[in-house]
Amino acid sequence: MNYLELLRALLPETALVVGALLALTFDLSFGVRQSRETRLHAAVIIGTLAVVAAMFGALSAGVADAVFGGVLVLDELTLASRLGVLMLAWLTLTLTGGTARLRHPAEFVAIVLFATAGFTLMAAAQQLLVAFLALELASLSLYILAGFDKSRPESAEAALKYFLFGGMSAAFLLFGFSLIYGLTGSIELPQIAHQLARQGQSPLLSLALVMVLVAFGFKAAAAPFHLWAPDVYEGAPVVSSALIASASKLAGFTLFVRLLWPGFGPAAGSVATAAGSPGWLPLVACLSAASLLLGNFAALAQSNVRRLLAYSAIAHAGVMLLGVIVAGDAGLGPLFYYVFTYGLATIGAFAVIAVVERAGCCQKITDLAGLHRRSPLLAGCFAVYLLSLAGIPPLAGFFGKFTVFAAALNLGGLAGPAGWLALLAIALSAVALYYYLVMLKQALVVAPADPASAPVPVPADAAIVLVFTALLLVLLGLFPSVVLRIF
Amino acid sequence: MTLDPLQLCLLFSSALFCVGLVGALARSSTILVLLGVELMLNAANINFIAFWRYGPPTAPATGVMFVIFSIAVAAAEAAVGLALIIAVYRHQKNIRLQEASRLKG
Repeated sequence: MNYLELLRALLPETALVVGALLALTFDLSFGVRQSRETRLHAAVIIGTLAVVAAMFGALSAGVADAVFGGVLVLDELTLASRLGVLMLAWLTLTLTGGTARLRHPAEFVAIVLFATAGFTLMAAAQQLLVAFLALELASLSLYILAGFDKSRPESAEAALKYFLFGGMSAAFLLFGFSLIYGLTGSIELPQIAHQLARQGQSPLLSLALVMVLVAFGFKAAAAPFHLWAPDVYEGAPVVSSALIASASKLAGFTLFVRLLWPGFGPAAGSVATAAGSPGWLPLVACLSAASLLLGNFAALAQSNVRRLLAYSAIAHAGVMLLGVIVAGDAGLGPLFYYVFTYGLATIGAFAVIAVVERAGCCQKITDLAGLHRRSPLLAGCFAVYLLSLAGIPPLAGFFGKFTVFAAALNLGGLAGPAGWLALLAIALSAVALYYYLVMLKQALVVAPADPASAPVPVPADAAIVLVFTALLLVLLGLFPSVVLRIF
Repeated sequence: MTLDPLQLCLLFSSALFCVGLVGALARSSTILVLLGVELMLNAANINFIAFWRYGPPTAPATGVMFVIFSIAVAAAEAAVGLALIIAVYRHQKNIRLQEASRLKG
């Protein structure tokens, strides 16, 4: 036990928490007499500095095996996931500065930073207790962010639904963890794996795995645990939705892939052949198939932009679960690349919605009509994000899908569920292309509903977010090895 | 058939979990749903304590530590939950879940 080592490993979290407290202190002492605009910008600047400091902290913590007796692990996945989460949090904060109209700006920034601290801790956790605490820190902050706009009843309702589903999934997770603890006598992942390899399958283990997977399905918004996602994406403030849809996904998948493969790996079973063998892999495959089907077909029926993005997120969760399935064989590269680029494209799409909403209303898909005349920058970036989500080369979304599907087909060809899932996902990508193009048609082709509608002004902060994410999606699509090489 | 104490504890905690789950799914008042969730969390806490108490006697007190933290988390969760319930109450003047149905589709 070495506390200095622990402090070094937790530098990013320390920077984020100190930043959050500084933002609050500054607002309470110097911000009282300032206008709301000034307070927002001061809070965002402090928040951005904290995120940048956390990035340096994550880099300087470097790569080490196990820290503090195996409580935390600093491997390549931790480093990449921490940096990815921090980058997405930085984009969210910048977007907040550009577009949000908040009554309590410093509190909002502070809670975003607390949530980010939870995400970075989730990326490093290697013990059930730390994993649970990090997950709850992130979740509780996200519930508050979803309900932050007190003037709109939709925001409160979305937050309440998110909270009730989230609380239930936390209870399932804790019950599953307690059974795992009882079965293996340990809460540290390496020991759990060691014990599980000795014990083999048992009914109690199956129950524990099902309970953990329920919580995972909730966090990933996988069908049939997706019910909160459309309501939260629609009702929450746009900036909160952006964080929930991007950084929270990345951190959640990092945590659960670490839990499932290094921790519960001996109980994985197999989906490479048609007969397979029991374990959690067949269950994840079922979740993946259900999410792919439900997400893609339900998205077709949507007329609200944010609900459509939510259902497309459920469909993407299906592909990400396929990435979890292949992670044991092909490594973490495909999954991480897919989730990270998905987060970038989603945060970009929400940035477009935030900017359009600032100038008026952005609820129905038809509200996007004539975006190419009202703001060419917005329309161009929107096209990049949606085409990346749809998986059109040369954007990053295409290569993400390609690596995941290729790895799935490598598992056992078409002999088993993994291959079939890949085929299903490829077929459903065509369905997905349809609903993305419906949105793009409104933005790029249809004339504005009102010919005299004013151009949409793009604030400088939001423009940075838009251009940065669009450029990154193109560059990562052209040079995917930059990310894949890490693993 | 006789049950050893660990099995009795597990049966009790499973029953508590199921009661909580049914309460959380079937009740229409938000506060009662919150109570159901708390019951589910406490069922897990009982598991931890039971596994620690009837586990190997030399084992470190991992289960107890876990429970102390999870009680704190449950308290934080209740605080956030009640705040959100108040936020909903301000808009719709009651806390019935059926009437929180603005968002659908």
